[in-house]
Amino acid sequence: MTTIYNRSQAIYWLAIAPIVAIVIFVIAPVFNIFVSSLQFESLNLLRTEAIRNVVWFTTWQSLVSTAFTLVIALPLAFVTANFKFKAQRLTTSLISLPFILPSIVVGVAFLQILPNNFHRTAFALILAHTYFNFGFTSRLITARWLQIHPHLDDAARTLGASPFKLFITLTMPLLSKAITNAALIVFTLCFTSYGVVRVLGGPSRSTLETEIYFRAMQLGDVSGAMLLSALQIVIIVSLFFVTTRASRNKFKQSTKPTISRQKSLQTRKQKVIAATIISIATLFAIVPVLAIAFKSINTNSRFTTTAWRTVFTSPEITQSITKTLIYAVIAMSLATLLGLLSACSVAYSNNNFHFISGLTTLPIVISAVSLGLGIIITFDTQPFDWRGAQFMLPLAHALVALPLAMRVILPVLQAIPDSLRQASSVLGASPRQTWLNIDFKIIRRAAISAAAISATVSIGEFGASSFLARRGAETLPIMISRLLSRPGDSLQSQAFALATLLAIFSLIVIFVIDSFANTKSARDSHA
Amino acid sequence: MNLTKTKKATKLFAIIFAASLLAGACSNNQSTDSDDTSGQTETPTDDSTTESKTSEKVTLTLLAYDSFTPSPNIFDDFTAQTGINVEISLGGDAGELVTKAGLTSGNPEADVLWGVDNTLLSRATSKNIFTPYATKNLADLDESARKLVPNNEATPVDTGDVCINYDVNWFKQRNLAPPLTLRALTSSNYANLLVVPSPVSSSPGLAFMLATIAEFGQDGWDEYWKSLKQNGTLIVSDWTTAYYTEFSGSSGKGDRPIVVSYGSSPPAEMIFANPRPATAPTAVAALTCFRQVEFAGILRGTKHEREAQLLIDYLTDIKFQEDLPLTLFVYPANTKANLPEDFVKYSLRPESPLQLDPDLISNNLLFWLDEFTNIVLR
Repeated sequence: MTTIYNRSQAIYWLAIAPIVAIVIFVIAPVFNIFVSSLQFESLNLLRTEAIRNVVWFTTWQSLVSTAFTLVIALPLAFVTANFKFKAQRLTTSLISLPFILPSIVVGVAFLQILPNNFHRTAFALILAHTYFNFGFTSRLITARWLQIHPHLDDAARTLGASPFKLFITLTMPLLSKAITNAALIVFTLCFTSYGVVRVLGGPSRSTLETEIYFRAMQLGDVSGAMLLSALQIVIIVSLFFVTTRASRNKFKQSTKPTISRQKSLQTRKQKVIAATIISIATLFAIVPVLAIAFKSINTNSRFTTTAWRTVFTSPEITQSITKTLIYAVIAMSLATLLGLLSACSVAYSNNNFHFISGLTTLPIVISAVSLGLGIIITFDTQPFDWRGAQFMLPLAHALVALPLAMRVILPVLQAIPDSLRQASSVLGASPRQTWLNIDFKIIRRAAISAAAISATVSIGEFGASSFLARRGAETLPIMISRLLSRPGDSLQSQAFALATLLAIFSLIVIFVIDSFANTKSARDSHA
Repeated sequence: MNLTKTKKATKLFAIIFAASLLAGACSNNQSTDSDDTSGQTETPTDDSTTESKTSEKVTLTLLAYDSFTPSPNIFDDFTAQTGINVEISLGGDAGELVTKAGLTSGNPEADVLWGVDNTLLSRATSKNIFTPYATKNLADLDESARKLVPNNEATPVDTGDVCINYDVNWFKQRNLAPPLTLRALTSSNYANLLVVPSPVSSSPGLAFMLATIAEFGQDGWDEYWKSLKQNGTLIVSDWTTAYYTEFSGSSGKGDRPIVVSYGSSPPAEMIFANPRPATAPTAVAALTCFRQVEFAGILRGTKHEREAQLLIDYLTDIKFQEDLPLTLFVYPANTKANLPEDFVKYSLRPESPLQLDPDLISNNLLFWLDEFTNIVLR
C-alpha cells in the first residue's frame, strides 16, 4: 500500500521494537529448542510407542471435537443467519461467551458438571472442546451466510427448487469455504489445546502440549520435551500453511447485501425449531459457567461462603489476584503498543515490511507452551538469567497476545483511504498532525479492542505461565491448577471460586471496553 | 468538537500507559523481596531478647513437598536463636519439586529444598541444584544414608520404608490370608483389591515401582506389572487419594483393602485414633518394603547461603529430628534422636528392605517410567 508516510524514515524506527522483541523472546528460544533437541540422541523417542500414542490421541480427539463443533454450530448458524427473533443480540453474546473464557476455566467447569467417572476420559475433553469452539464457529459461518443475497434463494425457489435442493445446490457450495476455514481453525485450536487437557485429561489422555509440560516439569525429561515441542511446531506450522492457503483463495470480501436475509419467524414449525436450537445452544453456553459459581458456594453439599472468604483473606491468594491484574495491565499495554507499531509499519511501508506480518504470527504458531519452555531453557545463564525476572511473565503474555492485537488493528489501518491523509496534508497539516487527526482517530477503537483482547489473554494465560510463573508470583490460572491438584474439598472449592473470579474478570474486561468503544462510535456517528 | 474527542482518546491512552508504567515500576520494586511479603507480616518481635547475627532480618524460604507438615511452631526456636525467619513454601510432589529446581538451577525459587529422596537424588545432583555443605551434625547422621551423598551435596534428614499396607479387619472378616509378598498380589485371591499411587507423579508410587524392579529384576518387572494390571490394580495420581480415598483401612470410605503406603502408616492409624482401637486396624507386609532416604539441600544461587547452612544444621539437630516421627511419620536420620514409644511399638522397620543402586536408578529412570506408562496407563 502506498501512503503519504512512505517517504518518512520514521517507519523504519516503528518496526524496530516489535522485531527486537520477537527475535529475542520468540525466535531465539525456538531456535534453541530445535538446535538442542536435534543434538540429543533422544530422537529415538519419536519411535517409542508412548509418543506415537500421544500424537494419535491428539489428532483423533481434534478431529472428533471439530465434527462435534460443526454439528452444533451449523444448525445454530442456520437460525441466526435466516431469522430475526427476540433477544437476538443477547443470545449471540451469550453464545460467544465460551470462547472468551480462559481455557482452564472451561476445564474446571466440565470437571464440575460431568460425573466422576467421565473425568479423565476422551469424551470429557471432546465435550469441553466443543463447548469452547461452537459459538465462534457459528458466528464465522453466520457472517458468511448473511452475505448470500436473499434474492439468490428467491430465484432458486421461483425456478422450482425445494428447500432441501436449495440448501444442497446453492447454500452449501457458497458456505463450504467458510465451513472448511472454520473447521481448520477449530482443529488447530483443539490440536494445541492445553489448559482444558491439563484439567480434564489424565496420564492416559495426554495431548502433545500437555506431554511437553509433563516431560519438562514432572518427569524432568527436558530433552524429550524439547523434541516434542519441535515436533509440535512443525505440525502447527504445516497446519497453518494449509489454513492460510485455504483462506487465501477465499470469497472476495463482498459487502453485506442491502436486503437482510433475516426474516421474522412465521410458521409454528419455524418457531419451534428456532426456539429449540437457540435455547439448547444458550443453555449449553451458560450452564457450565453457572456450575462453577454454584460449586464455589457449595462444599460437601452444604451452602457456605468459606471458599470465597478464604479467597479474599488468604495472603497467598490475594497476592495472586493482584499479580494477575498487574501483569494483565502490563501485558495489555505492551501488546497494544507492539501491535500498533507493527501494524503501522506494515500498513505504511511498501512491501519491505510485510515480513513483520508473518513475524508477529509466530507466537501463535509456536504455541504458548513451547514459548514458555523455550524461554526458560534459553535465558538461564548470566547475564541473561531472566528466569526469576518479574518482567518475564507479562512479557510472555504480551507476546502471546501480540498476533491477535496486531490483527485487530491492521485491517482497520489498511482500510483508511490515503485520500483522507492527502487532504489533510494539502490543508497544511504536518505528517504528525495528520496521523493524530486521521489515522489515530480511526484506529482508536480497534486499538481499544486490541487492548481488551490482550488483557483477557493475559488474565487467562496458562501455557507459558505454567513454565515461567515463579513461587510467590503465581497468576490465577496457575493457582487454580495447584489448588485442584491438592486433595480436599475446601481447596477444590477455592479453586472453583477462583475460576468464577477469572470468568468474571474476563467478562468485565470485554464488557467495559466493548461498551466504551460502542458509545464512542455511537457519538461519532451522531457528530 | 473533533479536537475534544481526540484529546479524550489521547488522555485515555495516556492514563492506561501511565498506569501500566506505574504498575511496572511497583512490581520491579517488589521484585527483590516479593517472595518475603507474607513472611514479614508474621515477624516475631523477640529479636530484642537475642543477639541477631545479621544486621538485617533475613527470611529463608524452605521449599518442600505438599505433605510436609512438621509441628506448627517448630521453627520458632530457630528464629529465636538466629534471628532468621523461615517461610515454608509447598510446591507439589517431590518429583515436581526436583524437576522445577533443575530448570531453575542457579537461580532458585527458594533457599533450602526439603524432600529429595534417594530415587530422585541423582537427578538433583546431575542438574547441579545444590551447594554442598557439611553440617555440624554430620557425624550423628545415619551412616548408610550418608554414603549416598559422599560429597555432601545434600544432607540426609530422615528415612522410611514404602510397603504394601492392608486392612486387617477386611481380611479377618473374610477369613482370607493377607498378601505377604509382591508376587502374591498377582493371585486371583487379591483381584481388584490393590490401589497404587502412580510412580509418575508420586514418590511412594515411584518407590513401589522400584521395589518391583529390585524384586523381579530389569527383565521381569514389566511382566509383573502386566499381571498386576490384569488383576485389576487401580492406579491413582497421588498417595493421598490412594490412602485416604480408595483404601478401606484408613479414615476414608474406599473399598480396596490393599494399598501402597509407608511402613509407618500403622502407627499413624493408632496414634491418631480416638478412641484407640485394641489392635492396629492396618498392617504392613514386611517383604514388600523399599527403603526411602530423604535429603535437604541448600539451593545453589541462594542469596543467603550462610543462613541456609544454619537452617540445615537446625533441620538435622535433635529438636527438629525428634519432631519428625509423629508429624511426618518417618525415622529421624539423626541417630541420637529419641523415638516416641508408641511409634516404636506400632511401626515396622524391615531388616533387609529392597534397595536399588542410585546410579542404576539415575541411568534408567526415564526409560522405566516410559515403559511403565506404556504398560499400565495407556
